Amino acid sequence: MTAGATAGATAGAGGPPAAAGATAVQGPPVLRPTDLRELRDAVRDTPGTLLAGGGGTKQDWGAPPERTDAVVSCGGLDGLVEHSPGDMVAIVQPGLSLGRLQEALAPSGQWLALDPPLVDGGATVGGVVATNDAGPRRQRYGAPRDLVIGVTVVLADGTVARSGGRVVKNVAGFDLMRLYCGSLGTLGVLAEIVVRLHPLPEASRTLRIPADPATATATTLALLASAAVPTAVDLAGGALWIRLQGREAGVAAQCALVRRLAAGGEEPEEFQGSEEAEVWRRLTAAHAGGAGETVARAATLPDRLPAVAAALIEAAGRAGVEARLASHAGLGLHTARLSGGDARAHAAVVRDWRRTVAGLGGTVVLRRRIDGVDGLVDPWCDPGAPPSALAVMRRVKAQLDPDRRWAPGRFVGGI
Amino acid sequence: MISTTLHRELADLLPPGGVVAEPAQLGTYQCDGLTGARVTPGLVVLPTSTEEVAAVVRACARDGVPFVARGAGTGLSGGALPHADGVLIVLSRMRRILSVDVPNQRMVVEPGVTNLEISKAVAGDGLYYAPDPSSQVVCTIGGNVAENSGGAHCLKYGFTTNHVLAVEAVMPDGEVVTLGADTLDPPGYDLRGVFIGSEGLTGVATKVVVRLLRVPEAVRTLVADFDSPAAAGDAVSGIIAAGIVPAAVEMLDALAIEACEAATGAGYSLDAGAALVVELDGPEAEVEAEFSAVRTICGDSRATRVRIAADAAERALIWRGRKAAFAAMGRLSPDYFVQDGVIPRVRLGRVLARIAEMAGEQGLQVANVFHAGDGNLHPLVLFDATNDGEAVRAERLATAIVELCVEEGGSITGEHGVGTDKACSMPKMFSEEDLAVMARVRAAFDPQGISNPGKVFPTPRLCGERPGPYRPHPLEEAGVVERL
Repeated sequence: MTAGATAGATAGAGGPPAAAGATAVQGPPVLRPTDLRELRDAVRDTPGTLLAGGGGTKQDWGAPPERTDAVVSCGGLDGLVEHSPGDMVAIVQPGLSLGRLQEALAPSGQWLALDPPLVDGGATVGGVVATNDAGPRRQRYGAPRDLVIGVTVVLADGTVARSGGRVVKNVAGFDLMRLYCGSLGTLGVLAEIVVRLHPLPEASRTLRIPADPATATATTLALLASAAVPTAVDLAGGALWIRLQGREAGVAAQCALVRRLAAGGEEPEEFQGSEEAEVWRRLTAAHAGGAGETVARAATLPDRLPAVAAALIEAAGRAGVEARLASHAGLGLHTARLSGGDARAHAAVVRDWRRTVAGLGGTVVLRRRIDGVDGLVDPWCDPGAPPSALAVMRRVKAQLDPDRRWAPGRFVGGI
Repeated sequence: MISTTLHRELADLLPPGGVVAEPAQLGTYQCDGLTGARVTPGLVVLPTSTEEVAAVVRACARDGVPFVARGAGTGLSGGALPHADGVLIVLSRMRRILSVDVPNQRMVVEPGVTNLEISKAVAGDGLYYAPDPSSQVVCTIGGNVAENSGGAHCLKYGFTTNHVLAVEAVMPDGEVVTLGADTLDPPGYDLRGVFIGSEGLTGVATKVVVRLLRVPEAVRTLVADFDSPAAAGDAVSGIIAAGIVPAAVEMLDALAIEACEAATGAGYSLDAGAALVVELDGPEAEVEAEFSAVRTICGDSRATRVRIAADAAERALIWRGRKAAFAAMGRLSPDYFVQDGVIPRVRLGRVLARIAEMAGEQGLQVANVFHAGDGNLHPLVLFDATNDGEAVRAERLATAIVELCVEEGGSITGEHGVGTDKACSMPKMFSEEDLAVMARVRAAFDPQGISNPGKVFPTPRLCGERPGPYRPHPLEEAGVVERL
């Protein structure tokens, strides 16, 4: 956690109560550049270690940085630089909130096809890209990595470098866009992002099919093998939620197809309009978790879902922790929310679940967690089984940030 | 020159016949699809496993000897151009399909498997591999990974990088690593994303995990004729504005139509100023709704004729005509350069007018074939090398066209790659700092700079000598491969 985030707790727990108010630990200074030059100067001229921030909604992802001497806030870089509806491309500054971007694009019938959690909480485009976070409709549109077509980045030494461009089809030069996506700001800070856009669907419906993990998985695999092209397939709260979007006639036909696939079970319930929007707000938020919860994300092949769910129930039961699972079933991405029990118990569940999921060929990464979990479990992986190319990852870090100024220790393997 | 010691060592590492050193045989590997650039490799090796590739690379790394990986050699930018003092690693003996997972829609293949073999292997399961470069009959998945290949359908489905989940690769120091995973989001930097499209500068792929898609329920294709490319461009704008993302939108101008018709007789109208091929795919009802909208839009944009493919055979014929465009140019002109620029689609009319002007100034003809949906232009600059000075003028025009694309906010290459062909145009698109950062990332993979050196990055040596005009690839002459 950053010094800023722990300031209150440290003062309260460690300092003498009488002096707490007077000597409260100050968080690191926050730099708020408003254009590229100010951003470059702030990075180049501020000594010490830096932490890039956007809306602050996922600052707890990764390991706590070893030290933060200054925070580089992108809040002042919040412009929509250009929207070219005919090219279906937008150029945005990193601090622009995803919600405001979508509002600006909607009148042209377009959107940036990302629906991650925490949009209402102020998630910015830069933050979503830096975490490669996505939501249920990743099923159809992919993740930030699939939608970012150009970036400008400021490196620790003040180098301002672009890669990609402003056209979707482009293979000139190395694809560093994907490298920065999901790097949690450990290589540099995003200064400008070019994204490809999609048309907003004309019609949308959601079917809710009551299902346990085994039935849900069978239905999901049958759906993926069928003619339907769902935009989302989520398992949560004892039901499979299937979203179908497109032209009115196409959506109606796909709904009929899904009903045939699910025949024999309970009659599916159908949602449209504001009711449907509310359903997905709730389903999406489940992946972020809330206060008092620890959140871990597993990735497996889609057909492993029943085993993943069983392993979570077992691990949670052993530790006496309450666990809820929400899964993007078509993608093989499963989010566990742990509540009740102490930090030691939460860490035990993550370790235990991670071991079983590894046996299924998958991985488990820690996201949000309650105080005290850090230090008990590595947020990235079992330290005994690091990513195969960790050495190359370290060399990439050493090339782009040789002095380890950007969030040192936040990334996998202590990068 | 490769030392006798290294030659012997590699021969011992590989199965019999795994090393080619005969000068006549080495000549076979002189060029890839950019046939104007030719270099005889120092030595050719034909490994059959990851371990053999790693052993070869380790030996090269120890001696500081450059190496170049090669698949089928269909690349159009000289990305697999050999190194005279280096080892050419030919992956054609690594062509096994290692595993197929139908329920999870994944396949693991060796790098020498061809693009089309992947789709064929799972056709019976109703699945396919989406990226479809025109050379898909012969081009290999390893080459596709190196070049981040696209194809006519990438407007809707994306490129190789959107469909390859993981790559097992031999790093330039000989270490074998897995980049990515068969699941989504493995922890760590997305080195898979950097590796794909790095044109062989970051190592050699030895296994590839691809994502498969279900074959669309319905496909509808039409050809609409227009008086001019500008009018066809209006129709494309109308389709985009209607929120339709076609599987493919291709445009041919009058000169390209003439060549394609002469070569294939696919039924394109010889009196049209431009032809637009529009293909939609997906769930039946969805496709029908959008197809009828596309027909209306074409009519509103003053299409002079709309031909709808009645069945799969007619669709295949339409595509055969389109895909023959490059090879067909031989019927119009003895020589030509093909370009691969990209522009923001909305600037199409302006750029075409400017290209016509520039061609007029040089007294040359330019035929245009494009992926109109994504602004990827393939202007073909026609010339006769036997006319004094014409080749030089044609080359200058081809370069000027691609640089015009960059000035208009586009790219020097949409799918053919930079390779040796366009390395000298990179500074038009990227600043010194941009290129220096890419070079730093390259150094993280390859500190010695021995993996496919002389490609992508401009060097004085390279930029002093330009490749010659386009000559048909041997496979193309043999009619095995159509070109895009």
